[in-house]
Amino acid sequence: MSQRIYITGLGMISAIGNNVPESLVSLSNSKTGIGKINYLTTRYKDDFLAGEIKLANKELADLVNDHDPKLNRNSYIAMLAAKEAVKHAGIDTADGLRTGVISSTTVAGMGKTELYYKELFEKDEHLDVLDTHDCGDSTERIADFLGNVDYVTTISTACSSAANAIMLGCRMIKNGLLDRAVVGGVDALSKFTFNGFNTLMILDKEWCKPFDENRKGLNLGEGAAFLVIEGEEALKQRNGKALAEIVGYANTNDAYHQTASSPEGYGAKLAIEQALTMSGLKPEDIDYINMHGTGTPNNDLSEGTATKAVFGDALPKFSSTKAFTGHTLAASASIEAVISVLSMQHSMIFPNLNFTTPIEGLGMVPETTLVHMPVNTVLSNSFGFGGNCSSLIFKKV
Amino acid sequence: MKAYINGTGCISSQDTINDQWFFDVIAEPAGDYFNAIEPSYKEYIAPNLLRRMGRAIKMGVATANLAINQAGIKNVDAIITGTGLGCFEDSERFLLAMLNNDEQFLTPTSFIQSTHNTVGSQIALIMKCHDYNFTYVHRGFSFESTVQDSLMLFSEGKETVLVGGIEEHTPNYVILNRRAHKFKTYDPTVPFWKSTTKGIQMSEGAAFFVLNKHKTGKSLASIDGIQTLYKPKSAESILQKLGAFLKLHHLSLSDIDVCLMGFTSDVEFDNYLATLLPEIEKESVAAHFKHLSGEYHTSSAFALWTATKLIEKQRLPDALAISDKRPDSIKHVLIINQYLGINYSFTLVSQC
Repeated sequence: MSQRIYITGLGMISAIGNNVPESLVSLSNSKTGIGKINYLTTRYKDDFLAGEIKLANKELADLVNDHDPKLNRNSYIAMLAAKEAVKHAGIDTADGLRTGVISSTTVAGMGKTELYYKELFEKDEHLDVLDTHDCGDSTERIADFLGNVDYVTTISTACSSAANAIMLGCRMIKNGLLDRAVVGGVDALSKFTFNGFNTLMILDKEWCKPFDENRKGLNLGEGAAFLVIEGEEALKQRNGKALAEIVGYANTNDAYHQTASSPEGYGAKLAIEQALTMSGLKPEDIDYINMHGTGTPNNDLSEGTATKAVFGDALPKFSSTKAFTGHTLAASASIEAVISVLSMQHSMIFPNLNFTTPIEGLGMVPETTLVHMPVNTVLSNSFGFGGNCSSLIFKKV
Repeated sequence: MKAYINGTGCISSQDTINDQWFFDVIAEPAGDYFNAIEPSYKEYIAPNLLRRMGRAIKMGVATANLAINQAGIKNVDAIITGTGLGCFEDSERFLLAMLNNDEQFLTPTSFIQSTHNTVGSQIALIMKCHDYNFTYVHRGFSFESTVQDSLMLFSEGKETVLVGGIEEHTPNYVILNRRAHKFKTYDPTVPFWKSTTKGIQMSEGAAFFVLNKHKTGKSLASIDGIQTLYKPKSAESILQKLGAFLKLHHLSLSDIDVCLMGFTSDVEFDNYLATLLPEIEKESVAAHFKHLSGEYHTSSAFALWTATKLIEKQRLPDALAISDKRPDSIKHVLIINQYLGINYSFTLVSQC
C-alpha cells in the first residue's frame, strides 16, 4: 500500500519574491524582504516592520489574470503560488489521475472583511465578503482554475497549518485515495492578525533575531507556497521528474497552553522524534534543520531545547529563515518546505539573519552566512498556537 | 477500513443533548432562524475554564465530553475537529473592538480564541493529549474531512479517535446574511424538498463522536465509508458516483434502509437532490434532517448523530420522513449531504 511520495513542483510568493526563482536570488544574497509597512492599512505602519509582498491587490489581479471583484489578497497569492507549482511540475489534471487540492490558512478573507465590516450593516455594496470570508474560498479558487479536482479540503492549525496540509497529501496518496496533490498554505497580512499579535506583545519593532539571546519577537509576513506531490506510481506513469522525496512527518500536540510552548518543548520533541522514526534516519543523518524560529523569546527557547534533546551536542547545521520572509503563519511551513528543497537542489544553507549572541544556557549557534555544501536531508519544524507541532523530513533524490 | 462509533454527544437546535430524546418533541425556531439549545455547561466543563470560553468552545468541549463518557474512555489517539467558521463570536469581538477603537486598547483573549483550532486544542489541553491534532476548515467538507482522516488513521495503526463538527453564529452574522438574502424566514408549511424559493435556514450546533478501529461492547454503529464530491456537474453524475461508492461496499441503493438527504429549502442548492429524490424513493426510504437542525457548515455531524440513533432505535420517526414509507429494520443508513450546492458527500453508516 505504502508508496513513496515525491515533490515535483514548487510555487511561492512572499516578501522575498513573487516566484521561486526570485526567492532563490534573495535567499542566496542574504536579502531580507522585511521592511517598512507599505500596503497594510494600520495606524502602526511607521512603528513596526513587516514582510509584505511587494504588490498591491490590483497588480496581483493582473498577475494572476483574474479580475473577479470578489477575490481577496489571500486568494490572489494562493492562486499565484499554486499556478507556479503546477506549471513547474508539468501535471495535467485532465489526464485521468486523481488530484487533490489541500490548502491551509488562518486569516482567510479577514483582510477584506475588516475593510468593510462596519458598512455591511448599512450598505449592500460589499456584502459579497460573506462569500469569501471563510477558509475554504482560496482553496476552491485553486481547485477551479486547475479543474478536474477529485478532493478539496482546508486545514487550520495556526502556524503549523501548511505542514499538516503537506502531511495530509502524503497520507491520502499512501492510503490510495489520491494519486497526487497540490499542498500548501496561504496567509495575507491583515490588520486583524497584526493587532492580534501586537496585543500578545510578541512583535519586534526591529528586524527579528531568531535564536539570539536578545530576541524580542517576530516580524509578521505574508505569503503563499504550494508543492505538487505525487506518489511514485503516478510519477512513473507520466514520466515526471522528482525534485525531492518526503520521507518523514509527524503531528503532535504540546498540550501545555493555548498560546505558549512548554519550556522543554515536549510536543516539538515528540514531533521531531516521530518524524525521524518514520524516515528511518538517525539524528546524525540530518544535514540541515530549517527551524520554526519565529524570534519570540518563548518559541526559540522551547524549540532550541527540544532540538538539543533530540540531537544532543552533535547538532546539524541549522537556521531560521523567518528573518527573510517574516512569519507567514499558515503559509510558513510550505514556504520553508520550498526553501528546504531549494537548499538541497542548490547545495546551499541559507543564513539565519540578524544573529549575534547565542541564547544563554543553550549555546546554539545557527549559520549566519550562506554555506555551500551538499544537503541531502532536511528537517523542517513548524509549531502553532493550540500546541500544534509538526515536523517534516525531506530527502534529495 | 471501518470506524466504530462508541460514543456520541450532540448540541443542536433540537433537544439532542438529552439522551432520551428521539425526534418526539420537535422544537421550532423561536424567531425566524435556529439557535442551538444549549445546556447548563457546569455539568460538562470546569468553572475556571468555562468563564473564558466562547460558545463554540463550550458546545465543542461539552459534546466531546459526552461522547468520551459514553464510550467510557479516558484517552484518545487523535483529536480531529471540523468547523467552517471557527470561533466566529471571538473573531467578531476582536474585529469590532479593533475597528471601533482605531486599533487601540485591545486585549488578546478574543484574538487567542479566534483561531479555528481553539476547540481541538482546548480538548487536547483538558485531556492532556499529546497525540495527533488536526482542524479542518473547509466549508461543507469540514466535518467530512475529520471522518475521512479517522479512517486513514485506523489504517495507519491508531485505535481511538475523537472527531467533531462545531459551528456557532452570532446575531450580527445572522443580520448580515439576512441582508445578503442568504436565508429566509422559517415556514413550517412548505416541506424542505418542495421549496420553490431561495434561502436556507441558518443554524448552529456541535456533535462529537468517539470512533474506534475495532468493534467493542460499546459500539453503536459503524461508519463504513465516506466520500466527498466537489462541484458535481449534474444529478446523474452524483447518482453514478453514488452507485460506485455503494458498490465499493458491496451494496446497492436497494440495500439502503434510510437515505438521509441534505435538503436545505433553497431551491437552487437542492436542485440535484430534488432530481435524485424519485430515484432514491424507488429503491430506498428517503428522509431529511435540516428542517430540524437548520443548515450550517458542519450540519453533517448532526446527520451522523441522527443516523447512529436510527440504527440504535431501529425506527424512522415521522419527524424525519419524507413519505409514508417506513423501513422494516434499519441496517444501512446513507447520508447524502450538500452544502451550497457545491460540497456534496456520501456517508455510509451501518448496524454493527
